[in-house]
Amino acid sequence: MDITFKNINLETLYVKTDGRLDLDNAVEYGTKIKDFIEDSDDDIINLILDFSEITFISSFGLKIILELYKLLKTKNGTLKLKNVSEQIMNSFRMVGFDKFLVFE
Amino acid sequence: MLRTIKSKILFLAILMLTVLMFAFACYTVISRMKTKQLMVQNYGDSVNSFVRDLDEEVVKSEDNLKSLALTGELFYRTDRNYTLTNKVVQRIFENYPKTLGGGIWFNPYTIDKSKKRVCFYAYRNKNNKIILDNNFASENYDYPNQEWFKQISSKVTPERNIIWTKPYFENLGSYTTMVTAGTGIYADGKLIGIATVDWEIDTLIKEVSEMQPFEKTFSMYKNGAKIKSSFALLGNKEYDYVIASNDPYLDNKKIVGSSFKEIPWYNDKLYGITYIKYHGKKYVPFYRKLRNGMILVICVPKWEMFKDINNFYWHMLLVLLTIGFIIPTFLYYSLNKYLIKPIDKLTEIAHKIGKGEDVKIKIENPEEFVHLASTFDKMTKDIKLITQERAKINSELSIAQSIQSSSLPNEFPPFPDRKEFDIYASMEPAKEVGGDFYDFFFINKNKFMFLIADVSGKGVPAALFMMTIKTLINNISQMNYSPKQLIKIINNKICQTNKQGFFVTVLIGITDIDTGKTSIINCGHNLPLIKKQNETYEYMQLESNIALGVFEDSEFEIYETVMQPGDIIYTYTDGVTEATNINNEIYGDTRLHNCLNSINSTEPKEIAQQVKQSIKEYINSNFQSDDITMLIFKYNGTLNNIKTFKQVADLKNYKQFYNWLHDICKEWCINDDLKNKLDMCAEEIYANITFYAYPEKSGMIEAILTKFKDKITFEFIDSGIVYNPIEKPNPNIDLPPEERPLGGLGIYMVKEMADSIFYKREDNKNILTLIFKI
Repeated sequence: MDITFKNINLETLYVKTDGRLDLDNAVEYGTKIKDFIEDSDDDIINLILDFSEITFISSFGLKIILELYKLLKTKNGTLKLKNVSEQIMNSFRMVGFDKFLVFE
Repeated sequence: MLRTIKSKILFLAILMLTVLMFAFACYTVISRMKTKQLMVQNYGDSVNSFVRDLDEEVVKSEDNLKSLALTGELFYRTDRNYTLTNKVVQRIFENYPKTLGGGIWFNPYTIDKSKKRVCFYAYRNKNNKIILDNNFASENYDYPNQEWFKQISSKVTPERNIIWTKPYFENLGSYTTMVTAGTGIYADGKLIGIATVDWEIDTLIKEVSEMQPFEKTFSMYKNGAKIKSSFALLGNKEYDYVIASNDPYLDNKKIVGSSFKEIPWYNDKLYGITYIKYHGKKYVPFYRKLRNGMILVICVPKWEMFKDINNFYWHMLLVLLTIGFIIPTFLYYSLNKYLIKPIDKLTEIAHKIGKGEDVKIKIENPEEFVHLASTFDKMTKDIKLITQERAKINSELSIAQSIQSSSLPNEFPPFPDRKEFDIYASMEPAKEVGGDFYDFFFINKNKFMFLIADVSGKGVPAALFMMTIKTLINNISQMNYSPKQLIKIINNKICQTNKQGFFVTVLIGITDIDTGKTSIINCGHNLPLIKKQNETYEYMQLESNIALGVFEDSEFEIYETVMQPGDIIYTYTDGVTEATNINNEIYGDTRLHNCLNSINSTEPKEIAQQVKQSIKEYINSNFQSDDITMLIFKYNGTLNNIKTFKQVADLKNYKQFYNWLHDICKEWCINDDLKNKLDMCAEEIYANITFYAYPEKSGMIEAILTKFKDKITFEFIDSGIVYNPIEKPNPNIDLPPEERPLGGLGIYMVKEMADSIFYKREDNKNILTLIFKI
């Protein structure tokens, strides 16, 4: 999968990818983001995940999102999701993630 | 008690023997008594004869006395010739050998005024010689002053009576104890002297006591000396003195001459008494009176008297007891050998034969058992023959049955590649070969025919007829007739071939598997049940036609319906509804209807098994009287509505799996929302099976996606470890994010998204079914 990383500022990272966040590649998606944050010279505490090109998220994807949320929370940062389709939104709602995730 | 022949016969034998022995014992006791009486009498007789002899002696002595007295008188009256008188006295004694001695004694100074004593005396010496003894006239003896002389002289009378003296000891000549009899000598009415005869008592008493009851003499001992065991007493009761006694317990010398009171055992009532007790022993007394007034009592010990007879009876009793023991023993032995053992042997053999062993019976005697054994032998052979014959018939019947059963299609699923329908049929034959059958086959590319039938009658003829009909229907069906034509031709053919008057009820279904259009023909058969999707089983209201093989050229009504995917038709024979329990009540239509509606499964095989189980429980211990046959047809719809995926459960196949799913969604025009749901569920369950179902070795995952009307059924099958995801508790989605665990979301989401979800474990497989409404 292709992931685009873009530093908005020193503390904020913009991530965009396409396709499915599922069994096949959710783990890879999460690992790559975490690796990027760690490898970066900047102290990244905020993430903006662009979901515009993401067609599907499964429980594995949701698990990664929760993991990333917990990671940023320890750094007092924020996780923002952008351009989430209604379908994916339904999935977030189903598991109660809409209560703490920030959508733009 | 006394259950066996042995004990019964033994009991009878002992009873009989006891009675016999009792009778014999009674006889013995009586005869013993009689014998004893006889013995006593016998001995009494011999005592009598002895007393008679004694009496005779007394008479002789008295005669003797009289002769002596006469001689004395003659001497007195004549010239007093001493020599002659001596001779006469001597001669008299020679004539009376029993007497010891005796003589003539004149009163003092009677013969000669100058001579005080004149006497003539003779006695028998030890050599039995008669000795004349004049010493008695001497001054030394002075007979007039002797006690005996005084006694006799004072008591004699002129009537010449006989006087017996008390016993006394004679110390001149014989030195023995004597008793003397005397009588007076009278001349002109004046007593001038006396005549005497002496009896030696010792000899007498010896003679008496030697009189034994038996020839054999018994002895007893007292103070080491051998004495006679029986004893006697002689005495004069009138003057109350004892003449002689040889009582073993008394000093007889002192007793002689004393009173009867000195005899302890004596009493006046001895006569006629059976026994007296003396010194702890029993004696039988024999009491006799002599002519001269003396009495003689002989006491014979009872034990000796009856010793022989007692011994005899004791021996007899011993013999009897021995016989009483020997006879039952012998009887027992004989019974055992000749009756019980052969019976035991026969029993044992019968047991062995019963077990199927080949046993030859060998009994040599007794004759009855030899006969019985040979009869037994013959019976065994007969039984063997009959059994073999029966086994042959049975095996032929079971062959017929298995031919019949195997002629029916019995591999399920019969067409594994045809997912458009499921079919299952079974026949549980009754003991006899029955006439039920079923069949199904494609009559062309897309028309599938199934039928269930019941041929009238039972047994091999019905089975043969059934085979003919089955082949006939199969052949004719292949000829592409319309259902109406088809059934008519079949009926006509059956009528033509059926000379035995058989007929057959049949239910035929012909389904177009592309469209579900189904023709059902009921020829006198039980009404089938149909379950429409989401509805209950109901009896189909079919027009019933006449059974096949009854009338040629009959017309048949055909029922037409269109089966929807999931519709099930349940057909059966009367063996199902007419199965009877032990109270002779039938299973019945209602019970069948209820049973079917209680079954959750839509699997034909499962349905058949559950109905069979229900019937089995109903008839319980009763035997199955008729074939139980059923055929279940389930229409699944066309091939396009069912999609299957089967692969090794591995992560690398996941892409292939969701592509398969996406293609179907596209083909079935499923909206994005449902597609998303299917996608999510599919992924979750795929992951679950991949990660957890096969911990040791890899296994398969099978997914079946079916679309019926407004529903999509998603079925996942794996043969991994038992796992029911439905049982997993739901996560709490209201927790703050920091506290929420990362896992556990997937199954929760599946449960949320599917409209219904079922899990079952079957054939070692986890089957998870999700249903989504379109």
